[in-house]
Amino acid sequence: MSAHSQLSSHFFEDLLDSIIVDVASECHRVARLGLDRNFEEEEEELRLSAQARARVADSSNNGETNSKYVVDIFGQTHPAVANEIFECMNCGRSIVAGRCFCSSLQGRKARLKVTRSATAAQNRYTRGSPGSSYSSYSNSTGMNRLSNGASSGVAGEEYSNGSFEEL
Amino acid sequence: MRNSVNRPPTPDAVEDQEKEPTLQEIINIKMIESGEKEKLMELLRERLVECGWKDEMKALCRAYIKKKGTNNVTVDDLVHVITPKGRASIPDSIKTELLLRIRAFLASAAL
Repeated sequence: MSAHSQLSSHFFEDLLDSIIVDVASECHRVARLGLDRNFEEEEEELRLSAQARARVADSSNNGETNSKYVVDIFGQTHPAVANEIFECMNCGRSIVAGRCFCSSLQGRKARLKVTRSATAAQNRYTRGSPGSSYSSYSNSTGMNRLSNGASSGVAGEEYSNGSFEEL
Repeated sequence: MRNSVNRPPTPDAVEDQEKEPTLQEIINIKMIESGEKEKLMELLRERLVECGWKDEMKALCRAYIKKKGTNNVTVDDLVHVITPKGRASIPDSIKTELLLRIRAFLASAAL
């Protein structure tokens, strides 16, 4: 190793040792002053929230078999329970959001649930049969009429976690 | 009268003061005077924070403090605990960057 390289390495280690001492003294000070108590609480919160996420993910995967609706730590149901009543623009019937048995759907009855991925649903509907008209839900600004074709998005907070499915 | 024991002469204190500084000391002084040492320190500190090295070292310190108890740990203990891991876990890119900067300084200082 050349003299310059040796000197460079020496100074680098010198700088690094200074930083190591800084980190050690900072940690020592924080521990002595008890400033790390919040950190322990945050760690515990992170651990609990990770556990809760795992539980919710597991529950939503087994939602069909275990129970229809799972309540998460925020009190929201999965899938979302849609209680609002809308008027179907196809048949004019008053129906509960989340269900539309519109006979104009090419003779089939479809059951719709609100989904988070409204865009995917929109694409599916626009690619579908031209004769079909799916009822979809409006957003949370309070539109009570269902619009044909593309869904305008998630209808309110209670729909934010559901899913569009055509059966 | 006994013969005095042969012993080397007492070093002259004046001679120590006139001792030539080493090359390392000269470079160190130049680095400090030019402000380069502070800049390099800041650069290294910034890079180590960005890559998560500092968080790693803090986690090691916290774990050691938790194990030994807050009142039973000194700064020296923590330094001894984290130094081997700290030196070994420096990313090569950061080390290279700093070494290049130091060498550039040495070259510019015509040393």
